[in-house]
Amino acid sequence: MVPTGYFVVLSAVLFSIGTIGVLTRRNALIMFMSVELQLNAVNLSLVAFSRQLGNLDGQVLAFFSMVVAAAEVVVGLAIIVSIFRRRATINVDDESLLRW
Amino acid sequence: MIDYIWLVPALPLLGAAINLFFGKKLGKWSGWLASLMVIGSFAVTVGATLELIGLPSGERAAVVHLWDWITVGGFNLAIDLRVDALSLTMMLVITGIGSLIHIYSNGYMHGDERFSRFFSYLNLFVFFMLVLVMGQNFLVMFVGWEGVGLCSYLLIGFWFEKKSAANAAKKAFITTRVGDTFFMIGLGMIFAWFGTFDFDTVLNGHNTAMLSDGTLTIISLLLFGGAIGKSAQVPLHVWLPDAMEGPTPVSALIHAATMVTAGVYLVVRANALFTSTSLNVVMLVGLFTAFYAATGAIGQDDIKRALAYSTLSQLGYMFFAAGMGAYEVAMFMLVAHAFYKALMFLSAGSVMHGLDNETDMKAMGGLRKYMPVTATVFIIGAMAQAGVPPLSGFFAKDPILAIANHSGRTGLWLIASLTAFFTAFYISRVIFMTFFGKERSDKHAHESPKVMTLPLVVLAIGAAGIGFIAMKGFIPSPEGTFGRFLESSSGVFVEPEGGLPEWALILASVAVAFAAIFAAWSIYTTDRWVKLRERFSGLQTFLANAWFWNAAYEKTIVPAGRGLATFFAFGVDKGFIDGIVNGVGTVTRGIAAGGRRIQTGYVRTYAAAFLFGVAVVLAVLVVRS
Repeated sequence: MVPTGYFVVLSAVLFSIGTIGVLTRRNALIMFMSVELQLNAVNLSLVAFSRQLGNLDGQVLAFFSMVVAAAEVVVGLAIIVSIFRRRATINVDDESLLRW
Repeated sequence: MIDYIWLVPALPLLGAAINLFFGKKLGKWSGWLASLMVIGSFAVTVGATLELIGLPSGERAAVVHLWDWITVGGFNLAIDLRVDALSLTMMLVITGIGSLIHIYSNGYMHGDERFSRFFSYLNLFVFFMLVLVMGQNFLVMFVGWEGVGLCSYLLIGFWFEKKSAANAAKKAFITTRVGDTFFMIGLGMIFAWFGTFDFDTVLNGHNTAMLSDGTLTIISLLLFGGAIGKSAQVPLHVWLPDAMEGPTPVSALIHAATMVTAGVYLVVRANALFTSTSLNVVMLVGLFTAFYAATGAIGQDDIKRALAYSTLSQLGYMFFAAGMGAYEVAMFMLVAHAFYKALMFLSAGSVMHGLDNETDMKAMGGLRKYMPVTATVFIIGAMAQAGVPPLSGFFAKDPILAIANHSGRTGLWLIASLTAFFTAFYISRVIFMTFFGKERSDKHAHESPKVMTLPLVVLAIGAAGIGFIAMKGFIPSPEGTFGRFLESSSGVFVEPEGGLPEWALILASVAVAFAAIFAAWSIYTTDRWVKLRERFSGLQTFLANAWFWNAAYEKTIVPAGRGLATFFAFGVDKGFIDGIVNGVGTVTRGIAAGGRRIQTGYVRTYAAAFLFGVAVVLAVLVVRS
C-alpha cells in the first residue's frame, strides 16, 4: 500500500501550485482553476488520512467539499461571464472598484 | 389620631394628583376639592394635637414609621413622621391657615384659565411643607425643603406670560438655592460626624457634647445658611419682594405664613446643634434684617411689596428671638405672624380684587367706605402687627423686647424698639394710604364675595385672639400655655432677671406703637406725605429701593456670576469638554484615513493577506505544539 506520507506530500505540492497560481495570475479563469486545485489538494489529503485511519468521515467531507466547489463554480463562472460581457476583459486587477 | 397622622400629608398629595390629572373635568369643583383635602388634614392634625396634650408631658413625642427608604449595609434611612409639640404647631398653622387660604382662593382665582392647576400646585405645596415639618430625619426634611422651593417657583411664576413674573420665579429659585447649598454641605457634615440623619440621634445632647465647639458652630451656621435663603434674611432676602408677582393667596400662604418660616422651624428644631457663637450670628442677622426691612417697607408704594418687606422684618424678629434662645417666643411669633400676615395679604388681595388688580397705594385711599369688611379685618391685622394690646402681635413682640432688655443687651433692645416703631409706622401707613384719606382711585371699588371675606373674618378672629395662649396672668410671657406646650420639644427657656421692670417695658412698647400710629395718621391721612416726599426725595428713593441692595447685587454679584457662567459655558464646556469629545472624533478619523488604505480593491492582495494569516496561525500552532 502506498504510504500516506506520499499523498500528503502530493497534496502539499498541489496546494502550493494552486496558491501561487491564485497570487500571481491575473486572469480570473486561471485563478479559478488554481482555487479548484487547492480544494482538490485538500480533498486528497482528507481521503488519504481517512484511509489511514479506517474512518469514513474524511471521505464524506471530501464529497461535501466537492459539492460546495461545484456550487461555487456555478456562481463564480456566472460572475466572470457577466464581467466579461460588460468589460470585455477578465483581468481581476481591473476590477478594483470596491476600495477606498 | 396619631396612628393616622400619615393622612395629613397624604390628603393634599392626593388632591394635587387628582387636580393635576382630572382638574379640567372638575372645573370649579377642583378648588373645593383642594380645600376639602387641606381641611381634612387640619381635622386629623387637631385630633392628633388633642391626643398629644392628653399624654403626660414627658411622653409628648411620637415617631410614626411609614417605610424604609434607603437601606445600604448598616445604614438605614426611614420615612418616619415625627409628631411632637413643635411639628404639631407647624402642622396646625400650615393646614389651618392653609385651608382658609384655599377657600379664599376659590373666589380670588375665579375665572383664571389655569384654575385647577393653581389648586394642584397649592395642594402640592401643602404636602411638601408638611413633609418638611413632619420628617423625623434631616433628609426627609430636605425633601420637603426642596419641594416647597419648587412649588414656590411654580406659583410665583404662575402667570408666566408676564416676563416680570417669570423672572421673579427664577430669582426666588436661584437665590434660595444659594442657601440650600450651605444646607446640603451642613447635612453632609452631620452625616460625616453622626453617621445618621435621625433627629433623635443628631439632636441628642449626649451626642452633640462629644463634638468640639468649632465643629458644631460650623454645622449649625451651615444649616442657618439654608434658613437664610429660605426665610429671606439678609443677604439672601432680595427674592422675597419680587416674589409678590405671584397670585396673592400664594403670597399669603407661601411667602408669609408657612414656607418662609421654615428657616425659623429649622433653627428651633435643630437648636441642640447651635452653639452660643452661632446663636449670636442668628440673633444679629435677624435683628439687622428686622431693622433693614422695616425701613425698606416705609418706602414702598406697592401694597404687596410693603407687606413683603414687613414679612422680612417680622421674620427677622423671629430669628432675633431664636438667637437669644427664646424658642417658644420665636415660635409664638411665627404662629401669630402667620395669622395676621396671611390676613393682611388676603385683605390686600381683596382690595386688588375690588380695584381691578391695582396694587399702587398712591392710587387708593378712602376705600373703607366701599369695602368695610376688608378694611376692618386689615386694620385688625395691622394693629396686631403694630403691637397694640390685646391683639396677638403684642404678645409676640413684647416678650422679645423684654428678653433683649432683661438679658442685658441694651443696645440691641434699643434697635429692636426702634424697629418696632418703624413697624407700627409703616403698617399704619399702609392702612391710612389704602383705606383712609382722599379717594385717589377712579375705579369703582366693590367689596369681595363672601367666599373671600369669610376666611378673612376667621383669620381676623385668630389674629386678634390667639395671644391669649401666650400670656401668664394677662402679661405676655414665654411661660404661657403655648410655651408650656412647646417646652417638650424646644426645651425650657429661663427668662433672665435684670434690666427694666416688666410694666415699664410693656408701657414703653405700647407707647412706641401708639406714637408710630399717630405719626403715620398725621402724615398719611392728609396730603402732607406728598410734600414730605418732595422735600426728602433722596431718602424716599433710598428707602423705596431698600438701600439699593438689588442695585448693588446687579453691579457686583450678577456680573461676576455672569462672567463665571460665561467662562464655564464657553471656556470650560465649549473649549475643554467639547474639545475632548471633538478630539476623540478627530483621532478616529485620522486612524481611519490611514487604515482604510489597506482596502485596495485588488483581489490578489486579499488572497495574499489570507495566506499570510494562515501562515501565522500555522506557525503559532507549530511553535506551541
